[in-house]
Parts: sequence; structure tokens; C-alpha cells
Amino acid sequence: MKKLLIAISLIALQGCTLIDAYLMTKYDPNEYQLITDIRSEARQFKAQCDDAVISKFNAGKIAYDTQLFVLYSEHIPRNENLIAASKALDVIAQGLAGQYKNDKVSPAFCKIKFDSIETSADKLQKVIGGRPR
Amino acid sequence: MSVEQLQQQLLECFNGSPDSNVQAAAQTANQYTEMVKSGQLSREEYVQLLTDLQQTNIINKSVDNQQAMEYMNVAINGLINIASIVG
Repeated sequence: MKKLLIAISLIALQGCTLIDAYLMTKYDPNEYQLITDIRSEARQFKAQCDDAVISKFNAGKIAYDTQLFVLYSEHIPRNENLIAASKALDVIAQGLAGQYKNDKVSPAFCKIKFDSIETSADKLQKVIGGRPR
Repeated sequence: MSVEQLQQQLLECFNGSPDSNVQAAAQTANQYTEMVKSGQLSREEYVQLLTDLQQTNIINKSVDNQQAMEYMNVAINGLINIASIVG
């Protein structure tokens, strides 16, 4: 009863943000696995950017995985922050894959793109891993 | 407008911001501009990388919001645990 009263008073004090924080999405090992795969791939693929044939395949692979991450996350309730971030990450990856379909890609561009994906995936992995269990 | 003028405008715009994410984006945009000037990046690649900075900004804001929620969640549960021990 006391716990309930404290919870109600905290909610009354701070409003919806506190409710969102209290009821926030719990840790999901599948979501964590997906973002870990993306981060690991980006790290490996970045080192292969001097080989255009392999990098074209790598770009397609990571674009597939970021899309899978979007589709997996988008119907998880109270997951708005991660949904927005997963979509933004997917835009970055799809841009790289699209560039390989349309044009010659410079190794510098390839490295920057995979580095950007790796850095963003690292940040997302941290927040997904830090969710309450 | 030349690339140099665009670069100058970007730097003035971003460096005036107190947001560390925006300042980092300004530095990155400056590096990309130097790379396109030296021929390491094509114009098309350069435009895409600048557009990606907007996506990175979305990711950074989402991560900041999510971290704030996680801290609050820990605090609320901590308060509830303390209250239940005391009570």
C-alpha cells in the first residue's frame, strides 16, 4: 500500500514523463543482438573498404540488417526514441547501399559511412543494454 | 555560392550553438568539405554525408532522451525500494 502511495504521489508530482520512465520498455535480448550485429559488421566492413566488390556486398548486408532492426523495433510499445533512432540509422545504411547501386564509391566515403554506422550502433547498444531488466 | 563560402556559413552557424552535438557536427562537416576539396569525396558523396549529419543528430537526441528515461526509471525504483524497506 505504501509503495502504491509513493508511486501515485511521484506520478502526480511529475506527470507523464515520470509515468513513461516508470513503465519504460524493458531490456529485449533480441533487440540487443540485432544492434550488436550491426555494430560488429560495421567495424569489420570498414576495414574492407578498399575492395569495391566486397564492399558492395557488405553495404547490402548492413542495409538489410538495419532494416531488420527497424522492423523489429517499430511495434514495441513505448519505444519511440529507439524507433526514431533505428530509422535514422537505416537511412544512413540505405544511402551507402544505394550509392553502390548507382555509382562508383570512393574508399573514403565507404569508411566514413561504416564508421558513422558503427558509432551510432555503439550509442544505441549502450541504451538498449541499459534498459531495466 | 562557393564551397568555401558554404563552409564558412556552416562553421559560423554551428559554432554559435551551445549544443556539443551541433559543434561536433560542425567539425565533421568541415572535414567533409576539406575532403571534397582535395578530391577524396565526390560531390554526390559529400551531399549524402552532410545529410547523414541530420540523421546522426536524430540518433543523438533519441539516445539522450532514452538515457534520461533510464536514469529516471532507476531513481523511481530506488525510491520505491527505500520506501518499502523503511516502511
